[in-house]
This record gives sequence, structure tokens and C-alpha cells, in this order.
Amino acid sequence: MGAALNNASYVGEFVSESAERTERLAITHRVRDGVVSERLVSLTGHGRELVRENDEVVVYLPDQKLAIIERRSGRSDLMGALPQFEGRMASWYKVDWVGRETLDDFGPTAVVAVRPLDGYRFGYRLWIDVDSHMPVRSDLADGSGRVIERLRFTKLRFDDNIPDSAFEPAVDRRKLRWVRQSPQSEEEMPAWRAAQVPPGFRLSVSGMQALAGAGSPVNHLVYSDGLATVSVFIQTPEPGKAPMQGTTRSGVASAFTTVVDGHQVTAVGEVPPRTLKFIASGLRPAAAPADATPAAASNRHD
Amino acid sequence: MTDRIKEQLSAFLDGELPDPESALLVKRLERDDELRGALSRYSLIGAVLRSDGDVPAARQVAARVSAAIAKEPFRGVSFIRVPSRGVALRAAAGLAVAASVAIGAVLLVQQTGSQDPAGAEAVVARAEVPPVQPVSDELDGTGTPPEIYVTPPATDTPAGIPPAEFANYLVAHYGYATPLVRRSVGAGIISDDDPSLIETAPPGDPNAP
Repeated sequence: MGAALNNASYVGEFVSESAERTERLAITHRVRDGVVSERLVSLTGHGRELVRENDEVVVYLPDQKLAIIERRSGRSDLMGALPQFEGRMASWYKVDWVGRETLDDFGPTAVVAVRPLDGYRFGYRLWIDVDSHMPVRSDLADGSGRVIERLRFTKLRFDDNIPDSAFEPAVDRRKLRWVRQSPQSEEEMPAWRAAQVPPGFRLSVSGMQALAGAGSPVNHLVYSDGLATVSVFIQTPEPGKAPMQGTTRSGVASAFTTVVDGHQVTAVGEVPPRTLKFIASGLRPAAAPADATPAAASNRHD
Repeated sequence: MTDRIKEQLSAFLDGELPDPESALLVKRLERDDELRGALSRYSLIGAVLRSDGDVPAARQVAARVSAAIAKEPFRGVSFIRVPSRGVALRAAAGLAVAASVAIGAVLLVQQTGSQDPAGAEAVVARAEVPPVQPVSDELDGTGTPPEIYVTPPATDTPAGIPPAEFANYLVAHYGYATPLVRRSVGAGIISDDDPSLIETAPPGDPNAP
């Protein structure tokens, strides 16, 4: 199973559906000598692309003549930069074998449901191709099982000989302006921490990074329960810029921003908005006295 | 399943269970359908959710699970049918994944064997495709999802996050999302329905690739 899951190289198309939009995308994914390369291309608009090679992501926006480079750091990896499905997660998610189902495009699939046990995270229903073990469809659902985002492959072809040229963007890179969002420093101890997080969430990454549009490097913390992740950005206020307060969302991802101790604190993640508010509102400078421990049990609804 | 067993299972999946205890747990796995089912489900889901090619731990988990169930009779394996697939997919999957399919099939069969009393016949013919709903902004005070969801505004205050800045946050968050969800986040980033990304370079940016 591991070989098929972790070493598969493939080309395909999938549809991402949410209440707000339906997006058709092409995907090229290759694993070669431990290097993961992936290219996503929007097929329904201006040909925006996202190309990843291991920890570096480049977003190409030809309609804006702009490219953004983002590099995930290995900094201060307190828990592991990637989400881990650990046994402890059984406290926050219930995994159920649903059965088997035949999908028109893929034949038999195994269907598994991952249900959240409280209101702080979303659940998943996965259709796993019995041949390749690829999740060819996934529904993201809220705590009551309502589907809020669906991602389904419409084409999938495995190919162990995907050439490098398949990861070249179609846009003329010479005509783009480049913006780099990179980690700038490691932190032995986070300068900020969450005084309260939902049950099961732990700090996994902490560091400083450049962020497009920010006047100075921002503090970036990542909290994860193993499946869901929340990024928290803490920015020093910029002269002349009004503080922000509110929620924004796009498909499965939401963001909540507020002001804490004179800093703009913004939480982003594929979790219910209340989770973002809970975490962001509890951010404190690390020097502040500890007034709470993670995962207030009283906030768990299970 | 007792808490003690759950803890052992957790440690086993995390590779932290001492060898003697692992040996005992494996023996128990050989005779405990429920435990074996739980182990299989967790490892399968974990591997799938991390199936991004850059998580060697998934292979380790798969190997541990495979080793744990290696001595088991493959109950119900006959109901795993080789699908009649499109030429492209069939050719692509082909021999390269044949060996791994066998292991995966065992996992799936064992899950079914332990949880699905209808066994081989319990094939869901076609899925009902429920409509995609908007994200609920809030749960009620009890944490119970409300009966009716109302589409919240994209920005609930005039001073909320400007669309361009939101997109920049998404780009920065993208690399940390679970692989399965990461594609959804990526789709949101490059969707034309999404806001323009901010064009201001951060300080000290080399302005070059």
C-alpha cells in the first residue's frame, strides 16, 4: 500500500466544488528519487498555475503578470511539519468503514468516513480506488455531515515517465514580477503562543517569514490536530493601516483576523470559522503569563 | 476496546510501542477483529491523507500494519474484484502497483470482514451525491450543528481581510495543509473567482525568481 500511495506519479483532472464555485483543474504529480513535483493548472479561467517541488511552491498568475514563491521551512519543527494521523486522533475523529461504491469514472472504490467528534474541525468522506489506493473523490463535511466541498477526479492516468517539461508553466516567466514569501529565521521558542486551542491541536511549526503585502516579517505559527491545520500570522501594526477584524473565506479555507496586544493576528485554515476565532483570540506574547492550557476540556463537544 | 488497548494501538502506529508489547499486540491482532479493523482503518486513512510522496512515515506505518496482519488468513479476499476500467487507468496501474494492491486489498477486506456483516454483497452500487453546502460560520452554544445553515457573507465586517491579503495568507498556509485538503486550498488560490493576490513585494525581496 505504501508504495502505491507514496510513489505514484500520475496525470489527471479533477473538479473542486464548493457552494461558491466549481473549478476544474489539471494535475500532474510525480515522485522521483524522493522529490515530489506537482503542477496544478486552472482549466476554467486565465490559466493560473501552482507548481510545487518539495517544499517550494510557485503560484503563477498570468492575468496579473505576477508570480509568488512560497517556501515552507523546516524550522522549529516541534511536532512535524506535516500532519500526522496518529492514534491519538481517535479522540477527535471517528473513522468508519462505510462500504464499497462504484464510481462511474473509476469502478470500485472503498469508502471511508472520518467524522469529527466536535465542532472544531471538519470531517472527510473518501472514495479510495481499490486498484491504486488513490483517493479519487473526497467530500469535506461539517460536523453534521453536510458536504461543504467536494473534490473528485474525472481523469487519472498513472505514468512513471513524466518528463520535467510537464512541470514547466505555460506562462512566459520573463514577463512576470516575482514576489518571494520565504521563511527568514528560526525560532528556538515561539514569540507568541496560543493560550487556548481546541482539543487535540498542537503547535507544530513556528517561525518568521516574509509575507507579500506585509511591511515587515510576520510570525507564523502552525497548529494541527493531525488532519486539520491552522496557520496563525502575527504582524506588527503598520503605520497608517487600519486594524482589521472579521472573517473571510474561500471554499474550504477561512480566515479570521483580530487585534491582540496591538498586533494583527490572522488565523487561516481548513476548519470551521469558530476554530479560527478560538485560536486567534487566544494568542498571547510568549512573555505573557500563562493563563490557560491548551485544549480547554470544557470546549469540547463530544 | 479498552483505553489501555487504544493507547497501545496508538503507540504501535506511532512506532513507539516497545518490542515485547508490540509482539503481544500483534498476537492480539491475530484474533481480535475489532482491533484489527481499527488498526487497518487508521493506517489506511493515515496513509491516504498523507499520500503525497514526501511522507516516508506512511510507508513505515503500512509496513507495520502489513507485518501485523501477515499471518492472518485472508478472509473474504475473493470479493475483491478486479475492476473493469478504462484502458488508460488499467494500463497505468498495471504491474507497477500489483504488489501493493494485494496488501491494500487485504486491509480493505479485513475492514469489511470485521465491520460489514453483509460482507461481499455489501457493495454500494452508486453513491447519492449530496449537494455541496456553504460553510457554516458558527455553531450554536452547545456545539451542535444548527438545523439550517445560512450562507454567511464572504466578509462579515467591512474591515475584514481584503481579498488580496487573504490570498497571500492562503499561499503561505498552503504548504502546511494536509495533502488531501492542500489541493482544495491550491484550487482556491488559482481559482479565477478568487481575489487578486496583492502585488506588493515584501521588504528585501530580491524581485527575482
